Amino acid sequence: MNSDRLFINVKPGKTFIDRLTGKTKVRTFLALIMLLIATWDIRLILPLFFLFIIALISIRPNWKKVWAVMGFIILVNLFNLLLMWLVEPDYGRNVVGGSTVLYRLSDFYIISAETMWYFFVRFTKFMATFVISLVFIQSITPSEMAAGLYSIKVPYKACTIVSIAFRYIPDIARDFQNIKISMQARGLELDSRKASLMTRLKQNITILAPLIITSFDRVGNIANAMDLRGFGKKKTRTYYAEHEDTRGDKIMMLVYLLFYGLFLAVVIIKIVTRPEYQVWYP
Amino acid sequence: MSEPIIVFEDFSFKYKSQTTETLKNINLVIHRGEKILILGPSGSGKSTIGNCINGLIPFSYEGKITGSLTVAGIRTTEANIFTLSRHVGTVQQDSDAQFIALSTGEDIAFSLENEAMPRPEMLPRVEAAARTVGMENFLGEVPYDLSGGQKQKVALAGVLHNDEEILLFDEPLAALDPAMGMTSVDLIDRIYREQNKTVIIIEHRLEDVLYRHVDRVILVSDGQIALDTTPDELLRADILSKMGIREPLYLSALKNAGVTFGKEDHLADLQALNIDAYKEKLTSHFKENAASLSEVTVSEEELLNVQDVSFRYGEEDVLKNISFKVHKGERICIIGKNGAGKSTMAKLLCGIEKPRTGSITFRGENCLNYSIRDLGRLIGYVMQNPNQMLVKDMIRDEVSLAMQLNGYSEEEIEKNVETVLRMCDLYSMRNWPIGVLSYGQKKRVTIASILSLRPEILIVDEPTAGQDYRHYTEIMRFLENLNKEYGIAILFITHDMHLAIEYTDRAMVFTDGELIADDYVFRVLSNPEIIKRANLKQTSLVTLAEKAGIDPEQFIHAFIEEERRIRDDEQ
Repeated sequence: MNSDRLFINVKPGKTFIDRLTGKTKVRTFLALIMLLIATWDIRLILPLFFLFIIALISIRPNWKKVWAVMGFIILVNLFNLLLMWLVEPDYGRNVVGGSTVLYRLSDFYIISAETMWYFFVRFTKFMATFVISLVFIQSITPSEMAAGLYSIKVPYKACTIVSIAFRYIPDIARDFQNIKISMQARGLELDSRKASLMTRLKQNITILAPLIITSFDRVGNIANAMDLRGFGKKKTRTYYAEHEDTRGDKIMMLVYLLFYGLFLAVVIIKIVTRPEYQVWYP
Repeated sequence: MSEPIIVFEDFSFKYKSQTTETLKNINLVIHRGEKILILGPSGSGKSTIGNCINGLIPFSYEGKITGSLTVAGIRTTEANIFTLSRHVGTVQQDSDAQFIALSTGEDIAFSLENEAMPRPEMLPRVEAAARTVGMENFLGEVPYDLSGGQKQKVALAGVLHNDEEILLFDEPLAALDPAMGMTSVDLIDRIYREQNKTVIIIEHRLEDVLYRHVDRVILVSDGQIALDTTPDELLRADILSKMGIREPLYLSALKNAGVTFGKEDHLADLQALNIDAYKEKLTSHFKENAASLSEVTVSEEELLNVQDVSFRYGEEDVLKNISFKVHKGERICIIGKNGAGKSTMAKLLCGIEKPRTGSITFRGENCLNYSIRDLGRLIGYVMQNPNQMLVKDMIRDEVSLAMQLNGYSEEEIEKNVETVLRMCDLYSMRNWPIGVLSYGQKKRVTIASILSLRPEILIVDEPTAGQDYRHYTEIMRFLENLNKEYGIAILFITHDMHLAIEYTDRAMVFTDGELIADDYVFRVLSNPEIIKRANLKQTSLVTLAEKAGIDPEQFIHAFIEEERRIRDDEQ
């Protein structure tokens, strides 16, 4: 049904998560991200990861696009781990504690249970962060994002920059496309088979000059339009796109408060117990 | 007369960046409940007057003000833009850039959001405003899916709920197709009547605005008020063409016939104008002209042949079985409402998109596999906004760029660039920086830069958008000259019916992806069915001809020829 779903949605969707307010979405996301950053405990990370996968399924994303990005992220992550291992094969000793050798390639290159465990936790943690970001980005509209940021006391002028940027990015992209085409018609070669990377890079910069000039014209008009309708008149602002709390929002408030609680707990436990090693190991 | 609401007293204004005053000693009183047209060519200062009224001057544009301006009892130098915006609602010219929000509802709500109005109060007001302009079913739409006219309606709704007494429209017709423009003028008039507002329209398209009654016209020229009078008086004054304003076509036709008007004639409203007394003169003049009508001759030399071309974006058919030919030296206008397929057709001709079926040949050679670059040497495409095309600092460099990119030798470039610069009357300016040029001059440079590759066909997208009559004439005469002297075929993509009538011979009309008409301009424009289907506006010439009992098609034909004769004599 939502196969035409884009990565950035301008129109709000229809699923449970979509229908939450921007405030709930931003606050929940923030709680989860903070929690994920704070913890290295797989007993917490793994359940969260599965929860996020369920959330992702629930918003019925465009799987083709999701897999494309997901595949890329998985590859980058694995590559990252490989590099870490190449530089420091016994990394687990410092963060997990101990070094149980499973396989020895040479004196330096060993595969230890602790390092593998660390890599597994790290990978899960990154993937969880990625999945929840994906859910967040796909379920929030730029206007809700602005309202949500405003609800966590970000000044509204900064919030508006977010929504304005999303409003005009497609326009600027279209301008860029037009300028590019008109330059191609005049003989600019942008075909990778016919021109070298450097030439193409240089030529793309030629296109930027008119793009910047047209964009400046537009910025002037936008600024006037905003002034004329009283933007910046008051210290506070309300949002048309931010509907009143629904039952879902009330439930989610309990949920995100729970996560903030968990986050605090994780941090406090860390401070109090001062564990020798960062990563929990069975 | 009711109380004054806007009072200019000995008002002058000089922009910080300029050396001379843009407005000089303006004295003007506008009363509550009036409907005013501020008329003037580009650069006359008419938009500056608007910006003074809504407070952008001095809030956003710095400069020196002398004299005084009072709006709704507030002296503008002592108030800020927010106080003024409670009294003056402004609808700007660029309906796209002023659509700030990501949905219709949100954009209408923008000023209420800034008032920090609680959402429950906001919703009914947004809906009421949307209903006033007829956009209540589009509240969730995103700007990318709306037409220019719809965006303008949203902009209007956005300034309706703060009880602004004054509505200011800055060139509301600039970006709309003819029928949409009429709807817009109608809507402004309806809101004026229903809501007892003071309405100020800033425009140079006189005939289109006069489609609905206005109380008073302020003619601005060179920063001063040249005339402040009723529309009838203005039209009688015979001052318009001197001021660079197009007079209504029906008046031109009557004047060509030697008619002089009396004091009682309602010149501003063709419907109300009693032409019985002038019928005879008009008919005999028409007969005289009609006797000598020449056939439009078309060269046999075929350049472009489009056969059964279809194109679709995703599931949607954008073009259906289009076939036409273009011959050497033809002047064709491509007309139709937004989204009818005109721009897609142009994209296909330039190789930006490839048709799904059908063939396109240039001088008999299949050019479907040509790249954009290859086609650029055969068919030149001039974009609407010259700022999107200019990449160099100097005129000469800009014009030689295309040849350099195509690998011509220095000598060839030297020779050809000189020819092109002379063709475009830019030779004496060849070492000027582009930054100092006017819009029209920039347009000429872009055309020169395209011509340097010597294409045989030019596609010109909205050559006159946002131009007043004087600049419009300048650009069009230039293009006409290129066509006549060098035999370059020109395809104009346009909304402008005046352009079609004055400067083209053949019209291709697109509607919903179909080419519904391809015929002589006078035949197309006198065909009511095509006019209606293509969202065009019936020209006042048809109405006039019908009132006088003359066949509209022939009347338009005769009028076009006569106008061209007059124009040629002037040159």
